[in-house]
Amino acid sequence: MPKSSAAAIKAPAPYKRARPGIDWNAYDPGQFYDEIISSPGNARAAARGLVSYTRKMSIKHLLSRQQAADLAIQEMGISFTVYSDGENIDRAWPMDILPRIIPLKEWQVLEKGLVQRQVALNKFIDDIYNKQRILKDKVLPREIIDSSPEFLEQCIGAKPRYGVWSHICGSDLVRDSDGTMYVLEDNLRVPSGVSYMLENRAVSKRVLPQLFEKHFIEPVDDYPSQLFDMLASLSPRSGDQPEVVVMTPGIFNSAYFEHAYLAQRMGAELVEGSDLVVGDDDKVYMRTIRGLERVDVIYRRINDDFLDPEVFRPNSMLGTPGLFRAWRKGNVGLANAPGAGVADDKVIYTYVPDIIKYYLDEDPIIPNVPSFLCVDKKHCDHVLKNLENMVVKPANESGGYGMLIGPASTKKQREEFAARIRKNPRNYMAQPALALSTAPTLCGNSIQPRHLDLRPFILQGKNHYVTAGGLTRVALRKGSLVVNSSQGGGSKDTWIVDTEAS
Amino acid sequence: MLSRVAERIYWLARYLERAEDTSRLILVRHNVILDLPRNVQPDWELLLRVLGAREQFAQSPGAANEKNIMSFVFSDRENSSSIITCLTHARENMRTSREVLPSETWERVNSLYLSVARRANKGLPRASRHSVLNSVVQSTQQIAGMLSGTMNQDESYQFLRMGRYLERADMTTRIIDVASEVLGNPDEDARPYQNVMWVSVLQSLSAYQMYRLSERHNVRPPDALQFLLRSPVFPRALSHCLLELEDAMKLLPRGQDSLKAVQSVHRKLKRTNCAELEGEALEKFLDDIQVRLQGVHEVIQHTWFTPEQ
Repeated sequence: MPKSSAAAIKAPAPYKRARPGIDWNAYDPGQFYDEIISSPGNARAAARGLVSYTRKMSIKHLLSRQQAADLAIQEMGISFTVYSDGENIDRAWPMDILPRIIPLKEWQVLEKGLVQRQVALNKFIDDIYNKQRILKDKVLPREIIDSSPEFLEQCIGAKPRYGVWSHICGSDLVRDSDGTMYVLEDNLRVPSGVSYMLENRAVSKRVLPQLFEKHFIEPVDDYPSQLFDMLASLSPRSGDQPEVVVMTPGIFNSAYFEHAYLAQRMGAELVEGSDLVVGDDDKVYMRTIRGLERVDVIYRRINDDFLDPEVFRPNSMLGTPGLFRAWRKGNVGLANAPGAGVADDKVIYTYVPDIIKYYLDEDPIIPNVPSFLCVDKKHCDHVLKNLENMVVKPANESGGYGMLIGPASTKKQREEFAARIRKNPRNYMAQPALALSTAPTLCGNSIQPRHLDLRPFILQGKNHYVTAGGLTRVALRKGSLVVNSSQGGGSKDTWIVDTEAS
Repeated sequence: MLSRVAERIYWLARYLERAEDTSRLILVRHNVILDLPRNVQPDWELLLRVLGAREQFAQSPGAANEKNIMSFVFSDRENSSSIITCLTHARENMRTSREVLPSETWERVNSLYLSVARRANKGLPRASRHSVLNSVVQSTQQIAGMLSGTMNQDESYQFLRMGRYLERADMTTRIIDVASEVLGNPDEDARPYQNVMWVSVLQSLSAYQMYRLSERHNVRPPDALQFLLRSPVFPRALSHCLLELEDAMKLLPRGQDSLKAVQSVHRKLKRTNCAELEGEALEKFLDDIQVRLQGVHEVIQHTWFTPEQ
């Protein structure tokens, strides 16, 4: 045998038993609620497997797993797009390999609460566009609807199937220092992030397979088929396999990766507005190499404004003329329905407990974060006086833009914001800055507590479905509360763990 | 399959092929001019005529000299058929249909585009002309190979094939056009050079060796022309391209009209005695084929990309 090849084959270095593992006594989240440990050195019941496993692992070993994960993410092409300096940049999706763990028992309660919320909100939207009982009964002041930019007059009288308007809902959950989970906001229009939840799981299975033997982790992989079934249940035609498509604004959209991903996983066509055409028969067709083919259900990932230039923005190049007409006639299913955004206005949010009570005669299972509406004079004064302890949000923005985070703000920023609030109080609501829970996260060469939230995805069509867990987003900067990936946030795989099965 | 996706794949293939063939075409011209007798004035403008870019060039600043014409056909973004423009369009078509194409090919297309873009301001001086153009040819060949070797050979692949072979058919006739001035030149002075030039043409089309294998004798102008137009087996010959087109169309739904259009080009080719074509008759024949191929494109467009409501 030639010398060189003999030298190239080396036996692996012998395993050193006395390696120093992760020292969980040194990990201290301070006054915050930590998702993994209950006190320094003590794992929460659901996370015992993770903690004892990492006790035997050196930080170097753990970092090499993180590198393996980063590589897998690049190879799998998991990316998101950020828009900066007039250019679109595809960035690799940031994922921390240490999972966030929630016990199954707690999750089962949250799951019920999420379904309760979506059911009530859908009843609310249906009521608002039809009989408006809740306004007549004065549970909700009419001005709030009248002044809502998300209320679409064109939708009045529409009756989508099952009375459901928001079929795919992403509600953000946060945990305060006493361990209580709150709903921070509801995303009822086109919530994104579910593909990253699925990919995070695929990556952690690749790089931490041993942990999956130690825990009973609820699988998440059936989301695409659940989504497809839900969408199929909206088809106006009965019988054979309905034609379901995913409608994207195109490659320049920041969530394009997800649109393509979901289309692929569901075996649905990924269409752009110009691929669709509405015929004189008010039915929707797509242009294919076989000619025009009827479309039954559209999972649209473009905003209401751009959906149909005949009804909304006349200059929209992204939509399809006539789509709204086809939907109103019941010839095509649209998920989510136009106008659903009326209920994820941050002012409406403060009424959700009342909405649940009104339509379901139940108490909310998951509480709201206490909120102050600036349109209310008394609330507004309170907010202005306590700005440094408040998080102030505009009523209709998403992605963490246009917010004031009191504890992290400068005096000048607060003064500017106060002026804006005084000028347009209807547009603002405020919440006390929560002490968001933390979880151990790999930062440089050590494990440190970082704040996080959770976005589960809830489906409602003919049936209900809640993802097992959801997308955990983590603020990678020390002390930061902003988890959005466009603003330096990362993510974690989320495990719903059954501690009783074993 | 969506019409838009089919159209993007078709154009991706056309633009890649066009970038490759334009490189080959410039190489042919370059070689022909190097071989010209000293007393013959090199005519670079012929390149523009063959590429149908004379009017566009006239609007650009600068005289019609070698340097300007080279920059124009290689790296001028204002020129709708320059190599950089072809690669820009190829890249954009690929970028927007990435979900149906193998991801490694996207990386190759992107890096080919970037390497040409980096060179763009240097033009195409004689010293590096051969190596630069050759690397474009090699990269596009590599991409074509990756696509053939890794893509499902389903309907989307047929659109790739149609784009590739329709463009190649058209460009092969243009490449012959580039050398036709010499081939058809009745001037006695030019005669001795004809064989040399046909060797150049064949080499630029990577056809020299295949010609020798297939014809088993020295390069003779009429035979070379016959080979490039009528060989059913040489992949860059017009006849072979038409066969590939017919085959792809047979595998697609609603392909009858396109098939008829290609078959009529094929009949015209078979009826013509290519070996006897010379001078104006050859130019006229090649022009006629180009017009008919444009007609084939229109039928493809009409059938699959813009279906009637």
